[in-house]
Amino acid sequence: MDKHLKQDAIIEDALQSEPLAPMPRSITADVMARIQSNRRPALLTWRDFGLGFVILSCFGALWYTWQNLPPILLAKLQIQGILLYQNFLVNSRWLVPALFFGSAAVLAALTIPLLLKMTMDHRR
Amino acid sequence: MAETEQSLIQRAQQGDHDAFAALVDEHQRYVYNLALRVVKDENEALDLTQETFVRAWTALPNFRGQSQFRTWLYRITTNLCYNRLPNLRRSLNDLGDDVMEELPETSSELHNPVRKIESNETRRYLQQAIGALEENYRLLIALRYQHELSYEEIASTLNLPLGTVKTGIFRAKQQLRNLLNRLEESWINT
Repeated sequence: MDKHLKQDAIIEDALQSEPLAPMPRSITADVMARIQSNRRPALLTWRDFGLGFVILSCFGALWYTWQNLPPILLAKLQIQGILLYQNFLVNSRWLVPALFFGSAAVLAALTIPLLLKMTMDHRR
Repeated sequence: MAETEQSLIQRAQQGDHDAFAALVDEHQRYVYNLALRVVKDENEALDLTQETFVRAWTALPNFRGQSQFRTWLYRITTNLCYNRLPNLRRSLNDLGDDVMEELPETSSELHNPVRKIESNETRRYLQQAIGALEENYRLLIALRYQHELSYEEIASTLNLPLGTVKTGIFRAKQQLRNLLNRLEESWINT
């Protein structure tokens, strides 16, 4: 047992006394040169603005189309909408809790592992 | 000292190059040593160190100070090491966590002056043996002893379970103990 402890002490001593190797040369100048040529990525890029513009255009086109539909076609669409809603109320009420619990399950699956990881990291 | 580093980090986050250069000056030796311990090649270690700081500059606005700046740099370095050595990540995960005994943070034996008197030859032999360990063990040993991180900090840096870190360090020491036994036997035989 004493031999074991002595060996542990020798190993700990060797591990703790190992010196850091000196730097062959400073890399600060190289790093700074690379940093000055590489700009930090911006939070918002032109791609984000482009995507935002396309989405807004889609909504605008939808609103414009809705406003300019012939009144008869508009009335027919509204009737179809009401019929679909009534059909849903009569035949597919079960869909409401199913969709509700389904969405809750998906949200839980997405958030709980993340929250657990954050809690573990916080404890560390 | 810590406050100075904090203000340097804040200035660097706002884009101050001089502040970041000061941080590079301060930490490059530690990052280089960690990389050198894993890749065992001076040029490759220098290259990894440079890459670590370039990535740190890009990611610096996201650094919220939950960990120490140096530990955060080590995390970047080890991720770069994983890219260079694809087997490193797997070999760390494969360590498992079968060491159930609690490892002491520091050995009390080490503070005993009698125990400290060991020949330079044994120490040199062991330090060579440390360099010859597998890369996963070298990484764990370097973080624990050269960079003086706690087991929890190593686990967080390498994103490994605490038990795996303890197992890895325990096994590395076990290998060193076996080598030491062999050395002592060779002394007895001669």
